[in-house]
Amino acid sequence: MQFEERQKERNSFSNRALVSFIIFTVLFLAVLGRIFYLQITTNETYLTAAESNRTYTVPVQSLRGKILDRNGNVLVGNKATFDLITIPAKIENLDAFLANITEFLSISDKDLETYKKLFNSKALYNRELVLLKDLTQAQIASFEVRSFRFPGAFVGKRYRRISEYPELFSHALGYTSRASAAIASLPGIPSRNWRDAEFVYASGLISGQLGLEKIYDDSLSGSYGKKIYEIDAKGRLYNLIKFEDGTPGEDLYTSLDLLAQQAAHEAIDGKRGAVVAIHLPTGSLNVLYSSPSFSINDFANGIDQQSFDAIIQDTNKPLFNRALKGRYPPASSIKPAIALYGLNANLTSWERTIEDPGFFILPEDGRVYRGWREGGHGSVDLTKAIVQSSNTYFFDLAYQSDINQLTTHLGNMGFGKSLCIDCFDEDSGLLPTPEWKYAQYNRGWFTGDTVNMGVGQGYILATPIQLAYYASLLANKGTARLPHFGSKPSPEITSIETSNFNWSKLHKALELVVEGPSGTARRLSELKPFKVAAKTGTAELVSLDSKEAYAEIRSDVLQRDHAIIIAFGPVPNPEYAVSVVIENGESGGLVAGPVAVEVLKKLIER
Amino acid sequence: MKFRIYGDWIITLCILMLTVFGLFFLYSASDGNTETVLKQLAFIILGFVLFFLVAQLDPENFRRLAYASLAASFLLMLITALFGPEINGAQRWIRIAGLSFQSSELFKISLPLTMATFLQFKKLPISMKDTFFCLFIIAISALTVVIQPDLGTSLLVALSGLFVLFLAGLSWSFIGVTCGLLIIASPFIWNNLLRPFQKERILTLFNPESDPFGSGWNIIQSRIAIGSGGISGKGYGEGSQTHFNFLPETETDFIFAVAAEEFGFIGVLIILSLFLILSLRTLYFALNARDRFCRLVVGGLLLTFLFNLLVNISMVIGLIPVVGMPLPFLSKGGSSMITLFILFGIIMSIGTHKTLMQR
Repeated sequence: MQFEERQKERNSFSNRALVSFIIFTVLFLAVLGRIFYLQITTNETYLTAAESNRTYTVPVQSLRGKILDRNGNVLVGNKATFDLITIPAKIENLDAFLANITEFLSISDKDLETYKKLFNSKALYNRELVLLKDLTQAQIASFEVRSFRFPGAFVGKRYRRISEYPELFSHALGYTSRASAAIASLPGIPSRNWRDAEFVYASGLISGQLGLEKIYDDSLSGSYGKKIYEIDAKGRLYNLIKFEDGTPGEDLYTSLDLLAQQAAHEAIDGKRGAVVAIHLPTGSLNVLYSSPSFSINDFANGIDQQSFDAIIQDTNKPLFNRALKGRYPPASSIKPAIALYGLNANLTSWERTIEDPGFFILPEDGRVYRGWREGGHGSVDLTKAIVQSSNTYFFDLAYQSDINQLTTHLGNMGFGKSLCIDCFDEDSGLLPTPEWKYAQYNRGWFTGDTVNMGVGQGYILATPIQLAYYASLLANKGTARLPHFGSKPSPEITSIETSNFNWSKLHKALELVVEGPSGTARRLSELKPFKVAAKTGTAELVSLDSKEAYAEIRSDVLQRDHAIIIAFGPVPNPEYAVSVVIENGESGGLVAGPVAVEVLKKLIER
Repeated sequence: MKFRIYGDWIITLCILMLTVFGLFFLYSASDGNTETVLKQLAFIILGFVLFFLVAQLDPENFRRLAYASLAASFLLMLITALFGPEINGAQRWIRIAGLSFQSSELFKISLPLTMATFLQFKKLPISMKDTFFCLFIIAISALTVVIQPDLGTSLLVALSGLFVLFLAGLSWSFIGVTCGLLIIASPFIWNNLLRPFQKERILTLFNPESDPFGSGWNIIQSRIAIGSGGISGKGYGEGSQTHFNFLPETETDFIFAVAAEEFGFIGVLIILSLFLILSLRTLYFALNARDRFCRLVVGGLLLTFLFNLLVNISMVIGLIPVVGMPLPFLSKGGSSMITLFILFGIIMSIGTHKTLMQR
């Protein structure tokens, strides 16, 4: 090669090498710029990202508040129990593990099967799986001595929601049951973290269903705590960095009265029916009982399919909350309300008397409306009409009434309305109006419909809690407080205004129902040491013309009349009002009455 | 005859510091696995020995060995294809006496040497015939690596030949035409030559959040690691991205992210400065080499080295798709480390043997 050419080659090389090097340098500067941008300019963003990468927040359940009665008796609380808990990820040979453990612990085949089914899904992470629930002391001991053989299993304390009176308060309290994680929310915890939540309850994430457990679920549940763990990319928890305690659930002090509720339960003795008692100065519910009942412990802690089906298929419908949702004709118990309407509308007075031949003939079409006593009550004034429950008197009074004014009046007394402040799913009964009837049946309102309403029959339907509210309204002389489970007074509502004379006459008449020699509930008189005012009712389910016809249908228990009583006491200064409905109980005075008296006794003599 | 040790303080010191840093990063990245670190230390010591031995040889030896080494490379590839064990669906390794090494690494030495030897006396500009011959050799060398398959290494092999060809005076018009053709053919390459996973890697680069737990994972986690390092880093052994396994391949391809997370921007600047000094010194050797062969070899190796460096760091910071290419002197790895030491041994030899008259 020539010298010139060599020089040319050398220059060409140097140029190309330098140009390439400079290009690389520029590219490296771009890279450096990018690194500067990541590490300096947007450092905050990535620090946060790394932190949330590194940590994993797990919700930690707090213990649920207890529910207590007004004397501090625990109606439902938390019981520490012990479960045999396994960590499937640590169990290498499932069959060998189960074979070894069943050597000394008997586990039912069904439980074993369920366990095996769930095993694989839990083995993926460090999840726990319960093998045997609610261990006895002996079982715990027999496991503990052998526990060294089972590194994948341990005895863990788990709470259960337990009531000492599992069937007594079921409809008032409701129950807790396993909730889906989707329900739970906690700021700063992504919803997927709930699958790793640490639960103190054997049932895991629980929430209130029905009743007070549902209504006060938030305050009962308290707030979840947080455990912040350091984790790796596979989600394995390394170590606990931080533990923020949750707030335990607040105890719920209710106005319920254990002894009175027990009295209601015993007096009703398994019959279908409901009892509601209200404390007059506060409007508090002391008794809210529906019969038959069911065990909330079973519902809260797992019930087997067979028992569940039995409850569902029971024709007595134990799950049905009769106290809040049972719809019954108020029957004669409505008579004091009709009387107040008649007095205020000047349709009648305490002096006015009518002749009661035992029936009422509707002038328009000659249709006959019968009373309960054949031959009638003779000459009847308003007091006698209430005390002896003369139908004829009230048919006559209702006949004179304006249906629109009458329904407004009854509505003011709580009929057709849901009243309770903190009851779950209360029914509002039925207060019929001409508009309602037209919409429902495409038929006009007949005078006969109004006449029927005068004795609480026909379309009108009331719930036991409405009847109790109505009783409290009568007891308080026109004012009442809305029913609720708290112990502080609820707002007072004045709904009926009439003269003091009318009130004292009415109270006297209602007192004579029990305390008078000819009252419909006179047999209750001897049962208690204080005086009680009441009004009985016998709700007809089938409209019949004669006693003989009733005797015939009586053979079918479900066609028998409902027994109703509303009562308050002690008179003359009442503190409590009660309503009792016994389905197909036939006699308000004889069947429902004693239940009301037993409850009033427990409430008054506390 | 005067005895002389051929060596260069700057290059030696840079490499020494880089490899020592590498050991520290590796200790952290492997969660304190001393076995891994000691093994790597052994490779580094062996590397330094070879580095110095190679540097003592006169460059004339490299020229003489060039063609033979290329032939040896092909032979090794053949042996690998026939007897090499298959690991993760790829046949890249040869086991001899309990030691295994990646056979394609030899191409990184033999191909630039061959190109430089072949081109050292060619007139400027390189004729079409010679150009195509060179391209042919480069292509079959790279292809034998591609079929293993090993895309990263084959790219480096191809470039180590191409850079020499370029520096030797490949005509600009040829370069222009080729680039033009490549641009025109790019849709065809995209549609027919790239495999689905390769396309996915490229697409993920533009929108890693589209699949944060799948193909976007590496890019996102690496970016978080580097970004969260800040100015001075989280401290040695304190990188949460590294230690809780969010970062992939921390010991090998992604070790730069480990350094960036634990030592921050300052650490990055120190590492890049060392690479810059090393490169500048090599550039100086290239520009002042005693003959065209030496120039081409050092220049080609330098550009290949810079390319390797650029690709790894760009990949780690999410500028280019994920390609399996280690970070020189810092990533764990035996074969690549030894090869690198030999290459720098050649560079140092050329840089220090200047006794012959310049040609």
